[in-house]
Amino acid sequence: MVPVVNTGKWSEKITAQLNFFKLVARNIANRPYRNLATIFAIAIIAATLFSAFYLIGGAQESLDAGISRMGADILVVPEEYSSAAQTVILMGEPNSFFFKDAGFEQIAGIPGVAKASLQIYVGSLAGQSCCSAPVQIIAIDPEHDFTVSPWLKENPGVMLGKDDIIVGNMIVGDIGSDLKFYGHTFHIAGRLAKTGMGVDMAVFMRTEDAYVMADESPVKAVQRVTIPRGMVSAVLVKVDPSASPTGVAEKIRTQIPGTKTITPNGLLNAVSVQLGAITRLLYSSMLAVTFISIPLLAFISAMVANERRKEVAILRALGAKKTYVMGLMLAESFSLAIMGGILGICAAMVVFVGFEDLIAFSLKIPFIAPPLLTILADACLTLVLCIGIGGISSLYPAIIIARSEPYETIRKGES
Amino acid sequence: MIEIIGVTKSFSTDCSEVRAVDDVHFTVNRGEFVLILGRSGSGKSTLLGMLSGLTRPTAGTILLNGMDISELSDDAISELRAKEIGFVFQLSGLILTINALENVMLPTLFCPDYPGSDSRAADLLTKVGMSERACAYPSTLSSGEMKRVAIARALVNAPSLLIADEPTGDLDEATEQEIMELFRQLNREGTTIMMVTHNSDLIRYATHTYRMTQGNLIKSDGALSPRLTLEPRTNVNDKVSS
Ligand SMILES: Nc1ncnc2c1ncn2[C@@H]1O[C@H](COP(=O)(O)OP(=O)(O)OP(=O)(O)O)[C@@H](O)[C@H]1O
Ligand SMILES: [Mg+2]
Repeated sequence: MVPVVNTGKWSEKITAQLNFFKLVARNIANRPYRNLATIFAIAIIAATLFSAFYLIGGAQESLDAGISRMGADILVVPEEYSSAAQTVILMGEPNSFFFKDAGFEQIAGIPGVAKASLQIYVGSLAGQSCCSAPVQIIAIDPEHDFTVSPWLKENPGVMLGKDDIIVGNMIVGDIGSDLKFYGHTFHIAGRLAKTGMGVDMAVFMRTEDAYVMADESPVKAVQRVTIPRGMVSAVLVKVDPSASPTGVAEKIRTQIPGTKTITPNGLLNAVSVQLGAITRLLYSSMLAVTFISIPLLAFISAMVANERRKEVAILRALGAKKTYVMGLMLAESFSLAIMGGILGICAAMVVFVGFEDLIAFSLKIPFIAPPLLTILADACLTLVLCIGIGGISSLYPAIIIARSEPYETIRKGES
Repeated sequence: MIEIIGVTKSFSTDCSEVRAVDDVHFTVNRGEFVLILGRSGSGKSTLLGMLSGLTRPTAGTILLNGMDISELSDDAISELRAKEIGFVFQLSGLILTINALENVMLPTLFCPDYPGSDSRAADLLTKVGMSERACAYPSTLSSGEMKRVAIARALVNAPSLLIADEPTGDLDEATEQEIMELFRQLNREGTTIMMVTHNSDLIRYATHTYRMTQGNLIKSDGALSPRLTLEPRTNVNDKVSS
């Protein structure tokens, strides 16, 4: 009989006990090819799911930010330009349009209207130093304005004085530097926070300065611009807290013919139509990827079915209960799903951080990065879905276990 | 300990029906060392499989410690296997993703109250002469080495019943001797052993010997007393042939 010796150096290596989790870890680590394939498949699903959530969330976020920046409950615009106005607000495609501001006094007098202020929209020329595309010049009346003024109050150092401009987030140029529009030099006094909407490509200035710029343009600019006095592009309205914006909007439309009203809700609806198409696209690619991946995952697990079946049989023969073996397989699938999920989410995040603007621009949706909490929630939801898909892919081993006649497998096994 | 009453196992294949085990009756008492000899295909492995509850008989009853195992739940049989039965398969049946030592420790996972398994596993590996390869993966072991790891594994939970299907089939004579001495020691300490072998030299270790032919089990050790282990082999064979 060999004497019992337990002094060799190998015995020191075995201090760690074998347990359930170690068994799962070993099973994963020692089947690298199959597991990498599984992780990769799940990562693709996760990246698609997460991207969809992220883009939709970002668009929502952008709308909220843009609409609160607009600061108005109702935007009154000339009837024939209402869709142009929407484009200005949502996408920042510059436009110039005017209607007689005769109605202004009238609007201010309508019951339920708390504040009203005028805005004049003028599109800049292409090829300005600040920007690759024309920008929207918005002339405001600082006395009545409640769009930029609250922001100015929050930033006490900033004043909108003569020839000052407040620029949208995407306009290039340092605060304090000069920008020329139609040959007139302006100073950048402040920069607004990012909204992902049209206002990011807008420049705010005082109405008086805009008139001066227009008057000088025949001499100073390559192309003249006309801002007819007594005309405005839009009237922004803030309603009394007690009044309903839709009710007031209705009154404005009936009392001042030729006007159209835009409300944040209406804007949201307009955008959802546009967003809807993208959302559908995202969701359908999500579905497609998922439906392609599930058979792929099934194929991967079928590839190792023989080995799996043998393993199950051995464990069962050694006294493992069905529930134990089931738990082992599930833990393995879930671990792979979580690894794949995290990998996919991280990969998608890296792409988004790097190419956020490009992606939003090419999808033609208003977009800003959602807040961290939303991102985390999206990531969690993605992980949960991945685990669900991982669960489906472990159905196959589960069936093997349920039907196992362990002895048959062991008889036939070669190991 | 084990009582087998009229147990039959038949398999129907496309062209014929095989009665692997045919109306077998026999009893194994606690502390016995039972050896089963028989030609290939005579039904030995099938019989052992039924004893451990891994496969169910077509007809007949198997009583383990007085309990009819066909009436036990799947979980109860699993627990019985984990705690009371050590099984060495004809083919070693190691898990490929864990090393030799971890394979030996595997059964301890299924009865968590079992204490001190890692040092016991290490001791057992030493006893089967595999301490040097404790960290080796099964794919790097020879078939005899795998068999020895499987033997250590079968013993790790100190089962009261050891069922071994040709445990020394792949081993050289010297190693076979060591394993058989280990079995004998365990048997003396109270472990009941049922072992299948093709090597009739090993009869000297057994307290009872059976011979299996075409599904029938015939007792072949009539007068062989438990400790007459050095009785000449020819003697036994005479009795078999008579
Ligand atoms: N699942 C099965 N289907 C069909 N026939 C089977 C099945 N399992 C076993 N048999 C048959 O039952 C008979 C007994 O098989 P068993 O494995 O018990 O033999 P054995 O005595 O262990 O042989 P060996 O010494 O070669 O291991 C054989 O003829 C075999 O072909
Ligand atoms: Mg056999």
